[in-house]
Amino acid sequence: MASTRAWRGIATALAQRLLQALLVALLVGTLCFFMTRMLPGDMAYRIAAGRYGYDMVTTAAAEAVRLELGLDRHWLVALGDWWRRLLVLDLGVSQVTAEPVMLEIERQLWPTLRLSVLAMGFSLLIGPTLGVLAGLKPGGLLDRATLAVSTVLRALPSFLLGLVLVLVFSVQLGVLPAAGHDDHGSIVLPALTLALGMAAVSCRVARDAMIQVRGSAYFAFALTKGLTMGQALRRHGLRNVAAPVVAYLGVQLVYLVEGVVLVETIFAWPGIGHALVHAIFGRDVPMIQGTALVLGLMFVLFNALVDTACAFIDPRRRA
Amino acid sequence: MRPVPPSRRRRLVVACAGASLLPWSGACADDRGQAHSHTFTTAAADVLTVVGPWELTGLDPSRAGYMFSRMEVVETLLDVDDRGRLQPRLASRWQVSGDGLEWRFTLRANRRFHDGSEVTPENVLACLRRAHGRPGVLTMAGIRAISSQDGAIVFTLQRPFAPLPYLLTHSSCQILAPASFDAGGRVIRIIGSGPFKIASISMPQQFDIVRFEAYGGLAIPGRIQKARYISVARAETRTLLVESGQADLAFSLDPPSIRRLQRSTKAVLLSQMLPRTTFIKLNSGHPLLADVRVRRAIALCVERQGIARALLRDPDLGATQLFPPSMGAWHDSGLPALRTDPHAARALLEQAGWKLGADGIRQRAGQRLALNLTTFVDRPELPLIATALQEEMRQIGIAVRVIIGNSSDIPAGHRSGGLQMGLVARNFGNLPDPVATLRQDFGPDGGDWGAMGWHNAEVPALLGRLASGAADGGERARVAAILQSELPLIPVVWYRQVCAVSRRIEGASIDPFERSYRISQLLWK
Amino acid sequence: MSTPHTVSSDLVVIEAPRRPSLGQRAGIVLVSAITLFALFGPWLVGIDPARQQLERYLELPSLGHPLGFDQLGRDMLARLAHGARLSLSLATVSVLSAAIPGSVLGLLAAWRGGWPERVLAAFADAVLALPGLLLVLLLSAFTPGGFWPLYVGISLALWVEYFRVVRAASRILLASPHVEAARLLGFGPLHIVRRHLLPELLPRLFTLMRFGFAGAVLAMSALGFVGVGLQPPTPELGVMMIELLPYYGEAPWLIGAPVLLLFLTLLGLLLLAPEREAA
Repeated sequence: MASTRAWRGIATALAQRLLQALLVALLVGTLCFFMTRMLPGDMAYRIAAGRYGYDMVTTAAAEAVRLELGLDRHWLVALGDWWRRLLVLDLGVSQVTAEPVMLEIERQLWPTLRLSVLAMGFSLLIGPTLGVLAGLKPGGLLDRATLAVSTVLRALPSFLLGLVLVLVFSVQLGVLPAAGHDDHGSIVLPALTLALGMAAVSCRVARDAMIQVRGSAYFAFALTKGLTMGQALRRHGLRNVAAPVVAYLGVQLVYLVEGVVLVETIFAWPGIGHALVHAIFGRDVPMIQGTALVLGLMFVLFNALVDTACAFIDPRRRA
Repeated sequence: MRPVPPSRRRRLVVACAGASLLPWSGACADDRGQAHSHTFTTAAADVLTVVGPWELTGLDPSRAGYMFSRMEVVETLLDVDDRGRLQPRLASRWQVSGDGLEWRFTLRANRRFHDGSEVTPENVLACLRRAHGRPGVLTMAGIRAISSQDGAIVFTLQRPFAPLPYLLTHSSCQILAPASFDAGGRVIRIIGSGPFKIASISMPQQFDIVRFEAYGGLAIPGRIQKARYISVARAETRTLLVESGQADLAFSLDPPSIRRLQRSTKAVLLSQMLPRTTFIKLNSGHPLLADVRVRRAIALCVERQGIARALLRDPDLGATQLFPPSMGAWHDSGLPALRTDPHAARALLEQAGWKLGADGIRQRAGQRLALNLTTFVDRPELPLIATALQEEMRQIGIAVRVIIGNSSDIPAGHRSGGLQMGLVARNFGNLPDPVATLRQDFGPDGGDWGAMGWHNAEVPALLGRLASGAADGGERARVAAILQSELPLIPVVWYRQVCAVSRRIEGASIDPFERSYRISQLLWK
Repeated sequence: MSTPHTVSSDLVVIEAPRRPSLGQRAGIVLVSAITLFALFGPWLVGIDPARQQLERYLELPSLGHPLGFDQLGRDMLARLAHGARLSLSLATVSVLSAAIPGSVLGLLAAWRGGWPERVLAAFADAVLALPGLLLVLLLSAFTPGGFWPLYVGISLALWVEYFRVVRAASRILLASPHVEAARLLGFGPLHIVRRHLLPELLPRLFTLMRFGFAGAVLAMSALGFVGVGLQPPTPELGVMMIELLPYYGEAPWLIGAPVLLLFLTLLGLLLLAPEREAA
């Protein structure tokens, strides 16, 4: 029966994602382990300075930290220990705040998830809509306009885009807060910054798909049958346009996860990306590992969701 | 393709519609927050918002204690005024025994913590002992014992140390209520005795405070009742927060932002010279830098005025000597100022035997005059100054490689001996009396943030005399003069703290010792 | 999970080459101009990009210095020219060193099938599991300011895309009647690759390379943002974008220059190979 095959297909895809998640964990873990050993300079000093502020850090403080963390065992032993702890999700303690990494991540995960979901939502609202409209009249004004704008957006670094949005909406118009986490709507500008970058691509993908659908036999038949453009679009067009758009979502997720890192720093949004940047800055390796791991796993999870969505939309893929 | 049955299609549509509502609920969920974080979410209209680059790295006084002290949540035994004179706070009087080995601080009566418990000598003693047990300022004093007698705290020292009361003004010696600590001695809450109490903390980025009514003092209408500190790492974002009206007090602005805000109607700028100097810390033990002529040559090629004008937009900040004018007796205006003279610098290097090579870099006996300059990004102007210095030194024939890292690289490099040149911004006003800080910097082995590999017996002796209180007057000037001529540290620029104040409030002032934002003195307009 | 590029390739049409359209000609002009600027600009401008004159900081553009001076009094045009050379060559090398091995492996995987293909695919999936920027960030955290981690990281992050696209497209192409006929006729693999696969694959690769290019430059600015980028005084477009960000109010042309240059490069590449208009 078709649905058993469908479920089996989905199950295989999910199993693949699980394997990917495991590989992510190992990759991030190993890199971070070698980071502790290979970073130039003295680990204990970094930690002490991170904790006490650079005005207060001294040799004595660093010695105290060194003893506390036991930073002097042989590397093979330490690596095995590292992997073992990673697999039981013992992510250790932040070298800067001495709080458990899990606790810090819990605090920061929810803002990042909210930001990502909203950004995805915005990008799906803006991108494919404009793309479909542009595809209805290839070579027309909207088509060329979206091409120009999407090229500009792709060449612009996200911090510049964020800056422009803040200048327009916060400083000039005063309708949205510039940064921070508490006020109404302070999520809008960061989400919009992320969304515009992603929408730039999904717009063109939707446009290409729309053109293909319009030129296809079944669409022409629908129009010949007597359906209006709108009806034909709704019954036959949109699902076929949705297929490549949703598939491309997977690639866009890369930009989302990478963009989150920068955008959170610019807008002082207290999420995982922000924490990763601070951790790299402070050479806080357990936090680097924890946040990179969470971002990687989030990426795998979103990809799995996209796979499932693909399977629903395009029955051909379920096989 | 098989047609989707209508019922299934309807379910799909409903699911999609439901899913599309999710982002909006995410947007609105902003102010409900998470379980652990802020519990009040009133509009920003009556909340004073303070923004700065510093984050809450923990609740312990030795970590981020200065944040709570600045927001006036916690208090210390003593305070200082703008001129650096000691003022009573939790201690009402203090005195020292004749031999300088015993200090008594009498506590004020009837002071309460935010949870209602009383500020007793036992509570204070516990906090001070804890501060002494951790790396921090109290270790500078050589304290033998701390005890409490008849409502006073008594410090017994190993040797006389005159700046002890100044150590007690430091935020790491803040006094917290016993309920702030858990059974293991960790700080789990901040319960202080200041005019404001904590309403909520959302680490690491912000915390909210509310006025503590039982603090006393007149209830003046227009006082700030609620305030919030938000940590924002990037300077541009801080400026934008001021320009959009979201922030009322913003600190640590970078020079381009200051220019922008000067032209904005949203904020007023306050500025204050702080006792902080940016200097090049030299490893005087390094074979290339041991020669004082090389050090003097480097000092001569630094364009102090140019850097102050171009990078800091403030020509007065070009350092003429190590200690800025705001440091009173330490700044000797009679000292011949450091000047910029690339020709003289080149002549000095030639004298020292360094001849120009084909690539424009000097050589001597087959060795190139190449050095590393280590600096860090914690203060945004430092990498920029380092780049300027790199080019200036190249012009006289020294090849400099700039290494931008973390602030912990400097003490680490000092200890391992690997540091060659470091660009640092040292806060001599860490404690209101700089003697303790300077003793750390110019000790017999130098200091993490001070001299390195420089052997001079006179300066530690002079500082020792000042610390023990046996000074007779000329020590400070003599220290300044020696540092100016030997140049183990090459001053570059001084520092001016600029704060943007929104037009909603009045009465703002900057604390030159950065201990307090003086929120309790602000009024709404 | 297949990419959208395979969705529309039900029909393989090999067209005769056409005369370049107006857009394509504009693209050729742009790309050539920028390449010449990057190659010869530093020599033509002739000013040392590191030489600073602090008293001329943020000076307005003038005849002798068309882009004025930056915050340290360094000639902006010289910095742009050197920066273009460094960034574009770094990006080109990263992208090519990702594209060539990636495509070759993709072809091999599609050709051989079986175990080699599955192993390579699993490995590709593993690397793709971590978003490129994270990988580059982690590698750069090892040696902040080092040149090689950037280069290696960016290439590593990019090669997977080429691998997957080439593999997916090749699988379909290799199953097509043309290739089957060619094989039956006895043509060798190299010939088949050249005549039947490359014409189809190259446009897709080119599309990927376009955005890979921009991505590489932007990745460097992201690294500078985080503080693990290249060390001063290296002029590089991405790092310049970060350094000049604080001056967006006083001297917007300074940050506008590298951004505009990157945009024009991307636009040129885009125009060179426009996306197909209709199926």
